[in-house]
Amino acid sequence: MVNAIKGVFISCDIPMAQFIVNMNSSMPSSQKFIIHVLDGTHLFVQPHVEQMIRSTISEFRDQNSYEKPT
Amino acid sequence: MGHGERGRSSKKMKYSGKDDQKMKNIQNEEYYLGDDADEDSRDGEGEKKDRDYSELELKPDHVNRPLWACADGRIFLETFSPLYKQAYDFLIAIAEPVCRPESMHEYNLTPHSLYAAVSVGLETETIISVLNKLSKTKLPKEMIDFIYASTANYGKVKLVLKKNRYFIESPFPEVLKTLLSDGVISRARFSSEPYYGGDGFTVGKTSGELEAGPGELLNEAELAAAAEEKETHSFEIDPAQVENVKQRCLPSELNYPMLEEYDFRNDNVNPDLDIELKPHAQPRPYQEKSLSKMFGNGRARSGIIVLPCGAGKSLVGVSAAARIKKSVLCLATNAVSVDQWAFQFKLWSTIRDDQICRFTSDSKEKFRGNAGVVVTTYNMVAFGGKRSEDSQMIIEDMRNREWGLLLMDEVHVVPANMFRKVISITKSHCKLGLTATLVREDERITDLNFLIGPKLYEANWLDLVKGGFIANVQCAEVWCPMTKEFFAEYLKKENSKKKQALYVMNPNKFRACEFLIRFHEQQRGDKIIVFADNLFALTEYAMKLRKPMIYGATSHIERTKILEAFKTSKDLNTVFLSKVGDNSIDIPEANVIIQISSHAGSRRQEAQRLGRILRAKGKLEDRMAGGKEEYNAFFYSLVSTDTQEMYYSTKRQQFLIDQGYSFKVITSLPPPDAGASLSYHSQEEQLSLLAKVLNAGDDLVGLEQLEEDTDGMALQKERRNRSLSEMSGAKGMVYMEYNSGRHKSSGQQQFKKPKDPTKRHQLFKKRFV
Repeated sequence: MVNAIKGVFISCDIPMAQFIVNMNSSMPSSQKFIIHVLDGTHLFVQPHVEQMIRSTISEFRDQNSYEKPT
Repeated sequence: MGHGERGRSSKKMKYSGKDDQKMKNIQNEEYYLGDDADEDSRDGEGEKKDRDYSELELKPDHVNRPLWACADGRIFLETFSPLYKQAYDFLIAIAEPVCRPESMHEYNLTPHSLYAAVSVGLETETIISVLNKLSKTKLPKEMIDFIYASTANYGKVKLVLKKNRYFIESPFPEVLKTLLSDGVISRARFSSEPYYGGDGFTVGKTSGELEAGPGELLNEAELAAAAEEKETHSFEIDPAQVENVKQRCLPSELNYPMLEEYDFRNDNVNPDLDIELKPHAQPRPYQEKSLSKMFGNGRARSGIIVLPCGAGKSLVGVSAAARIKKSVLCLATNAVSVDQWAFQFKLWSTIRDDQICRFTSDSKEKFRGNAGVVVTTYNMVAFGGKRSEDSQMIIEDMRNREWGLLLMDEVHVVPANMFRKVISITKSHCKLGLTATLVREDERITDLNFLIGPKLYEANWLDLVKGGFIANVQCAEVWCPMTKEFFAEYLKKENSKKKQALYVMNPNKFRACEFLIRFHEQQRGDKIIVFADNLFALTEYAMKLRKPMIYGATSHIERTKILEAFKTSKDLNTVFLSKVGDNSIDIPEANVIIQISSHAGSRRQEAQRLGRILRAKGKLEDRMAGGKEEYNAFFYSLVSTDTQEMYYSTKRQQFLIDQGYSFKVITSLPPPDAGASLSYHSQEEQLSLLAKVLNAGDDLVGLEQLEEDTDGMALQKERRNRSLSEMSGAKGMVYMEYNSGRHKSSGQQQFKKPKDPTKRHQLFKKRFV
């Protein structure tokens, strides 16, 4: 019997995968979204979290980049 | 905006490049998202409308003119113009350099820069006519108005110290009347002064402006102005009130800022010092130029001269002293540079050994004779606590004496509360500040305008590189990705205090560092300095790579030994330095810097570290454009990607980018085939390193704190974390003594930090140099 789960396949570099895993583990268990950690650079997550992951990552990146004040 | 903008936008490109990699396959939209965000944040977008200069009217012969003057005070200079040199000298006198990349410079006219301009003797009309001559476009009306408004009152009043009496001098009696109508100033006026006529000003004729020799690089306009005799009016003020009067005259209050000049040739009260430059001391063109700004009209002006590290600031200082020929008080930041200054004085000038003395916590040399040079530290003068008897005597002597010249090295430290009092403590006729990095992380740098004086001269780094006066440095930022395990720990909330330790100890960074050391030692035979602010990392790296290290607690003897070996031995080519090496240690041999951890976003530190390798190396002809070696010095900054370090790193580079340097990004270090030849190849090794970092106490992985590091304090103030045990007092000396092994040294360093070296008991003083 084959089970099919709809989800989003994420492929990224090692640190970002860790970032997403960390994000997942900081959530209450009802909201955990990772279905499978496939390997260091590939994750399979629930489909509705894509936007959230994007925005969190872009926020994280903004924190780490410097804009010269003008 | 030419290169400046390009430099910055290439920085952006790097980010978008990184974004691609990161989000490559989630969805393609990310590209656009990322790019849009960058587009918005690019500083042009929002302000483009204010910066629409299309209305400027081009002159028909604009091709021959070197600069663009815009209504908002910005000036852009083409460095490839044949008139560049003249235009540069002029612009540097009237405007503040914003960004000076290779072919296009950006300047900004500010009230302060115009103040500096009039203080070196330029007149408003001259400024406008020369600017108009050089500009490709008709000068915008706003700019002319701005120049008039800003210079209307500048330079009209001078504070002159003649025969040890302070006079306020002005060619315009009505200005003096305005000043006297102010309460503070009229109270400060010396009452015993006899009155002449109705307004009671002393009227004198001065032809003093003629004294400037032809060799002083005055331009025609200045000479013309100097030729006509001027009538000056003056009144005397109470020396005790000088400080208040000066403050009262600032732009924010009465707006008659006073120029301070010292008529040293006519000062026959203070004894002359027998000092001449030795014949082999040949000031370079830019040093000559900066001195001519200072002694433009035969008097000595107070102000600041900005030259890059390694460009010969000390020769400028010594030459200034040799021209004034009065007693000199020279202030430096620490004992090591005190020794260096004393050495420089002896090297460049004919001063006798008994005329120069050093005053530090270790050597309290007595001042003999009636004129001489005293070299000491800001700390020694500003220190407010109890002193030993002999140093108390020396300090009293220092306070009571009148100094011809107060020479301040690393003058950017002066605005700090602790140091600014040295200016009021010591009575000096003329103040000269020297620095390479006129930036502070707090916004106090403008205080120098009234504490010392205007900026007299600022050299262009790239011109000095081209002239072969300083080394041509290749700057690179090496991106080291975090390893999986380290990044996972980095993200955990409970490790927030260890973040720094985690990104510094990133095994990929370590491998990149090891690779670079090996490459430069073996392939090029270079001498390498590795900088780490983080003491834990410093010890770890140095131990693992078996290299000597120097940090705050390293004794003077050991330091000297290590540095001597580094300079002479063929076997010792790499040395690890903590923050102590930022400015005080002079290692002319080194030509490679690897920076593994740094002090948050301090722009000054970055520039100062670069300065360690700026001293020109190799043969002159190799260094000139087209010579054998394009680059002869290397500056690597290792950065762990995806961490706070990226933010700091970009911020730190801003100062150097404004000086025209560009940072190359290297992503593929160490090369993938390096494999097990470098440390921390296997995962077990990496994990044991991680465990070590995590097990170290929070206080051990922190930053080293040095007393003189005021910039750092400003940056760290709100961020400093201390362990609970430290705050509760449980971290006592007894505990420290039992703490053994590697951590011991760094622990001691931590413990040492609140101590003021001058407060230490005599017996221990020698141990902490």
